Amino acid sequence: MATTTVDQPVVRTHRTAPHAGRKGDIKIILYVFAAVLSLVVFVVPLVWALFRSLQPNDVITAPANSATFFDLTWENFRGIAAEGHILRAVGNSLIVAIGTAVLTTLLATTAGYGFGRFKFRGSGVAFALIIVTLMVPFQAILTPLFLQLNAMRLTDSLLGLVLFYATVNLPFGVFVMRTAFAAVPDALEEAARIDGAGTTRTLTAVLRPLIVPGMATTALYAFLAAWTEFLGALTFLTKQDLYTLPVSLVNLQLGAYGQVNYGFLSAGAVIAMIPCVILFVALQRYYVAGLAAGAVKG
Amino acid sequence: MSRRNLTHPPATGVALVSPALLFVTVFVLVPLVFAVYISMTNWPLIGDYRFVGLANYAAIAQDSAFWRSVGYTLLYTAIVTLPILVVGYLMAVVVRANRRGSTLLRTIFFLPYVIGLSTLSFLMVLEAQPDSGAVNMLLKALGITDGTTAWLVNGPLATILISVLVIWGVSGLTMVMLTAGMQGIPAELYESSEMDGASWWDRERRITIPMLRRTIAMSLILSVIGSFLAFTQFYVLTQGGPGRETTPIVLYIYQRAFVQLQVGAATALSIVLIIVVGLVSAAQFWLLRERD
Repeated sequence: MATTTVDQPVVRTHRTAPHAGRKGDIKIILYVFAAVLSLVVFVVPLVWALFRSLQPNDVITAPANSATFFDLTWENFRGIAAEGHILRAVGNSLIVAIGTAVLTTLLATTAGYGFGRFKFRGSGVAFALIIVTLMVPFQAILTPLFLQLNAMRLTDSLLGLVLFYATVNLPFGVFVMRTAFAAVPDALEEAARIDGAGTTRTLTAVLRPLIVPGMATTALYAFLAAWTEFLGALTFLTKQDLYTLPVSLVNLQLGAYGQVNYGFLSAGAVIAMIPCVILFVALQRYYVAGLAAGAVKG
Repeated sequence: MSRRNLTHPPATGVALVSPALLFVTVFVLVPLVFAVYISMTNWPLIGDYRFVGLANYAAIAQDSAFWRSVGYTLLYTAIVTLPILVVGYLMAVVVRANRRGSTLLRTIFFLPYVIGLSTLSFLMVLEAQPDSGAVNMLLKALGITDGTTAWLVNGPLATILISVLVIWGVSGLTMVMLTAGMQGIPAELYESSEMDGASWWDRERRITIPMLRRTIAMSLILSVIGSFLAFTQFYVLTQGGPGRETTPIVLYIYQRAFVQLQVGAATALSIVLIIVVGLVSAAQFWLLRERD
């Protein structure tokens, strides 16, 4: 599955060479028009958001006034750093997202190895059981989960949130990792075994390079899912000190931290946006590989 | 077989998959069974509870606020589903041409989805304000409104705004799925039709869309289920208001459980939601696979 990357040519059709001339020109003009329109519709709002985060609260909330509109400052970001709630939430979100990525990848890799390379009774049923949970919307089991996590002392706990997020991301991860392991040639693993390598050594030394793309896909999805998740965090965390960034921002917006500062909200949203943009742009091929696997094999 | 069993002992396989199974069991399957039990009690969030049989389910019929949230969710789903498919399809058509800049466009189209609806909603809070928000500035500049619209305190206006935000934000997912599907269509199909002089729309209608039926089905299922489970954008932008005007199902269940502390009744509603979501995926699979 890691072979499907975005960077590859998508469709080999629509070669204009044999049909050069007027028809080709029209296509190019249409393409340029669509591209420019797309940039305006999809890039301008995000650049606008960056711009907004550099405007102070009183400019953001005032009707556009050319005298002050372009007075950009770092005031909001400095304010967030000094104020504490949001900064702390950024730290919590990082802990939760990184913890979720690590735990999900670990669980999915071992399970993917078991499902992809081992034969044992009940393997099919166990795999189906994990995949079927994809169809259980976690939004609909929040009440039993809350009571259960509460009984396990895992509400108001970043660890509890990590365990929950890892489970939500697990079916997809197991699916991706099983595909990755199944694609490794038998002969390669056999050779390692004959040389006397045990299970752990085979996994870490021989198979690792071949399954790293799958692991990257799993980790990336888990990180982004945990970083942006809202409903679970809102439900399972009631202590302000433990809020993740989206929960902290909604509290800011609803006035829980005193008078609403739209400058802080704007800067906080930009902080929430940055890791997503950077990770996606840098690791895009792993992201799309995962989506393609899901879409084609669905 | 025996050699494979030597290098791959079944017991090791079981050991490797057990942690994942344990997680899924503890955090999905047990809660699922537990949910059925809770739904038959009058569980308050704190304090003692009593078994009430099917009373919570019987009460659903009279729960007009619940049915309003169902109606609202259906309306919202009806508004956003087709535009998401059409916009995603058009994006896929633009990027599949594989001209200069296609890769960049693909990245750009998908960015809002990656950023996520929670963050996009926070940004929209600012831009939906009367006078100062970008939405109003733009509409005023275009001469459509006077720029004083208070989008978030008016049910229909908030619904329009949230729908546009969601269509803008999630169409990229449909695009990526369709693009992946388009990779699987043999180039020869297009070449022969191009020689017949078929128009662009003829080719889409006769080749691309039939070949992509399964992918289109998948993206429709994902988008309808996503709409049925919508929560974040409503919680952030309107908190369900004014009144309950923009309260979708999940937000209503959340309020019943964690604001009104009626966990038993809320869980009965959740069970209904699980069944409905299950039926949607089953029905859509069935409808769109029929002709294969």
